[in-house]
Amino acid sequence: MSFFDALRYRWRVLTNPNSYDREMDEEFRFHQSIEAMQQHHAARGLLTTGEARVRARRRFGNTTYHKEESRTMSGLGFFDTVSQDLRFAIRTLRRTPGFTVVAILTLALGIGANTAIFSAVDAMLLRPLPYREPDKLMLVSVTIPASHGDAPRDDAPWSYLKAQVFRGAQRVFSDLTLSANDNITLQQEVATREQGEVVDEHYLPTLGVQPAQGRNFLAEENRPNGKRVVLVSDRFWQARLNADPNVLGKTLDIGGAPYTVIGVMPPRFAGLTGHADFWFTIGARRPYMFDANEAWDHEFTMVARLAPGVTAARARGDVVTLGKRANEAFLSHGEVSGWGATAKPLDRARVDPIIRRSLLVLLGAVAFVLLIACTNLANLFLVRSSARQREIAVRLAIGAARRRLVRQLLTETLLLAVLGGLAGLTVAWWGARALSTLDPERSLGTHNSGLGVVDFATIHLDWRALLFAGAATVVTAILFGLVPAMQATRPSLTAALKDGTADQRLRAGMLRRLTTRNALVVLELALALVLLAGSGVMVHSLAKLMGVDLGFQPERVLTLRISTTTSGDHGDSLATFYQTLLTRLRGLPGVESAALGNCPPLTGGCSRTIAWVGGHNPGEVNKGNEPPIGVEIVTPEWFKTLRVPLLAGRLLTNADRGPAKVMVINATAARRLWPNESPVGKMVGIGMGGFDSVTVVGVVGDIRFNSIDSLPMSDAYVSYYQSPRSQAIVFLRTAIDPTSLAGPARAAIREVAPSSPIYEIRTLQSRVSDAMAQASFSALLLSLFAAAALVLAVLGIYGVMAFGVSQRTREIGIRVALGAERRDVMRLVVGQGAALTALGLGLGLIAALSATQLLRSLLYDVAPSDPTTFAAVVAILGIAGVIASWLPARRAARLEPTDALRD
Amino acid sequence: MSHEEREELLKGTLDMLILQTLTLQPLHGYAIAQHIERLSGDVLAVEQGSLYPALERLQKRGWVTSKWGPSPTGRRARYYTITAAGRRQLGAEITSFDRVLAAIQRVLQRA
Repeated sequence: MSFFDALRYRWRVLTNPNSYDREMDEEFRFHQSIEAMQQHHAARGLLTTGEARVRARRRFGNTTYHKEESRTMSGLGFFDTVSQDLRFAIRTLRRTPGFTVVAILTLALGIGANTAIFSAVDAMLLRPLPYREPDKLMLVSVTIPASHGDAPRDDAPWSYLKAQVFRGAQRVFSDLTLSANDNITLQQEVATREQGEVVDEHYLPTLGVQPAQGRNFLAEENRPNGKRVVLVSDRFWQARLNADPNVLGKTLDIGGAPYTVIGVMPPRFAGLTGHADFWFTIGARRPYMFDANEAWDHEFTMVARLAPGVTAARARGDVVTLGKRANEAFLSHGEVSGWGATAKPLDRARVDPIIRRSLLVLLGAVAFVLLIACTNLANLFLVRSSARQREIAVRLAIGAARRRLVRQLLTETLLLAVLGGLAGLTVAWWGARALSTLDPERSLGTHNSGLGVVDFATIHLDWRALLFAGAATVVTAILFGLVPAMQATRPSLTAALKDGTADQRLRAGMLRRLTTRNALVVLELALALVLLAGSGVMVHSLAKLMGVDLGFQPERVLTLRISTTTSGDHGDSLATFYQTLLTRLRGLPGVESAALGNCPPLTGGCSRTIAWVGGHNPGEVNKGNEPPIGVEIVTPEWFKTLRVPLLAGRLLTNADRGPAKVMVINATAARRLWPNESPVGKMVGIGMGGFDSVTVVGVVGDIRFNSIDSLPMSDAYVSYYQSPRSQAIVFLRTAIDPTSLAGPARAAIREVAPSSPIYEIRTLQSRVSDAMAQASFSALLLSLFAAAALVLAVLGIYGVMAFGVSQRTREIGIRVALGAERRDVMRLVVGQGAALTALGLGLGLIAALSATQLLRSLLYDVAPSDPTTFAAVVAILGIAGVIASWLPARRAARLEPTDALRD
Repeated sequence: MSHEEREELLKGTLDMLILQTLTLQPLHGYAIAQHIERLSGDVLAVEQGSLYPALERLQKRGWVTSKWGPSPTGRRARYYTITAAGRRQLGAEITSFDRVLAAIQRVLQRA
């Protein structure tokens, strides 16, 4: 078999190069010995054996040459040249340790940062979702037209009954499911607050997930008040049920009612919310959703699986049509027309669009940094190859192939890049870890509509990131190696070989090389300007965000959630309980004031309903056309605790109890509902049971409940004592470090309510930081990248100018000798630097104007082409450019003509 | 026998001549060169500088294998053997060589 013969031969040659060498020697010696014998015989004794041997050796020729030729044939030649190049590269790099270290560090930062950002992009945007055929899944959302100053939405959740109409009519999906977040109180030895989901029986089949044990929900379990059953997560089963093998059929006490465990989910499955340990049927937990009068209650996320052969585009067309029809089915129940539905691939909805945009911008920015680093290294290599010009010319002249020389120079850059890449992995590992801990509250990814499945904690270096780092390394090496290598070996032999004066050399290859270097500097400046402008507008936007008047003072406020097990139906006993609790907490040393509220600021708001002025019978109200209003339930001291100012009327008091409902509204609500008169004492109705006619007693300042970058909306505050809830957030304003009160506050609550779970203990300030996390995250990283770009660009200009001056020493010397003033020399050199800088800035400005448009959706109150920022950035880079050329110019001007000419 | 009277080998024919030589019996490098020179009436010269690279090339392609064995002089020598694939290759090369040769001759006769 020729194939195996050939393979065996190569194997032997490759694995045993030394014995291969020895054998070849032996074979050649044998050849010569026979030749000698032949010569000896042919001469019939006229030649001694010694003479015959000499003659044979002469006839054989250059043994080393033959051997090399044979090696080339055998395939070893390639490895020979590679290892030769490698040894040569190592020697060259070791001769210039400073250059080598700078280059490796630059590359390590560049490649490492790129790999870290890539691993974030991979985890957040690229890795396939953990469901069967995830590309077939679509997120179907309700669309709401703009009204009353609220922007239109295309990401709203579904009401259960509208979704059922949609399910019955649609033909484009093979299955679809509804689910929603459901937080519960689990009573084991102690009561704990746990996260779960309510789902329908289609949930697991649609996602393509099988329970690891037990079974899926049955259709009859998802009827109103159906049997109470629960599926638990593998994590919960392992950690809290001790992996009980007989778990099926056991019951759990959830919110005071027994639920039978019917199954355990596969490992790591945590639902669409990404943090569920329990799954219930909607029928068991939300029976009221099945009532046609509740068709307005939009709570459920709909995920659907495309039927075979149906495209996403066709499905969306059907969804739009059917969404309108599903909404119109409930017009007789007070729903408004104009609502509809739309669909997009679940993959597109995996993270908040702002996060998606930020990550892509960061990926682009960090690639720019690497590009600038490459430009700089290419420049450094050009300088070095200029120094090696004669060596290279000599080698070309004595017949070295240009390709071979280019390969040798490329080996050098590749070696540098690989070393840089390896060091970069350390940077990447560190960076990926920093990124993965960025979002402990998981609020970034899921902010608007993102899936909890995709989350910063899943960022890590895996083989995909390693592959990326490898590719980045190779591309980098080619980028910063190829241009200098081609330049260095361009055959301009004569000029370089002549033992040339500086002038002659300048006129030949140097001039062209200088032009290449100038082009690189212009490119570098342009890239740096784009980065600086981008990060400039981001920082500007962040500054505006930090200057936003939140409407409350978050400093020194501790918040914690409690969930009482006392039933909310007994309003009076709950009110008494809360008053006891607050009195106890106010008694703690260090507490200035304590209050309850049901909604933390800056977290997307809590409950919104409609308001109608005058307080009619709710039956007469057209639910779609009344203005929306947010409703917050608070205890009277809440305003004092958060330092929300009273603008008119009075605050709520502890005396506001009983049937005569009162409320306080914010300034925006006052302006919208009563544009021209004082709202104090007016009657108003809101869409909340028992609040058809409420007296407005006061107006307070606006608070940003929704998010830090959206304007306040209408809000109403109702007293806990008139609308008791079993859930509450305790707000404690403290005189000391608020975190030091976490322990005492917890102990105090345990005394009053031993069976109430206490959770989510954190400062209000940390909630504010979280709300700003996205903006500060992008701004901080972009600024880091821009700073790196600035330093690299300045170094680049300086390098080119300094090199240019050193090449022109003779010329400058002659000019000075002929009477040029130092000022003229300065002007000559600085002028050249300024021209390069101006060209780079001009090109950069054009690029930056379009590049910053990509940032538009990430900016708060700043235009993408903000003139102030752009002017500042151009000024910074311009000054940096001039300084970088001024330093070499000063040196040039100080040249003594005699020194310069003698050189 | 001076060097000048000998003819350079036609490009690409050395591989074919080596393969042909090896169809008789396994031979070492020197014997291969000798055999070609003798049979050509000392017209064709086989330079060592092309012989050994050619043998490496043929081995790399799997047309020839080699093995060390004792030689008549008592020293160890490397003996080359043609493989089945080498024989097939030889047939193909002879066919194409014949065609080229015939073509060249036709051209020369008409000229």
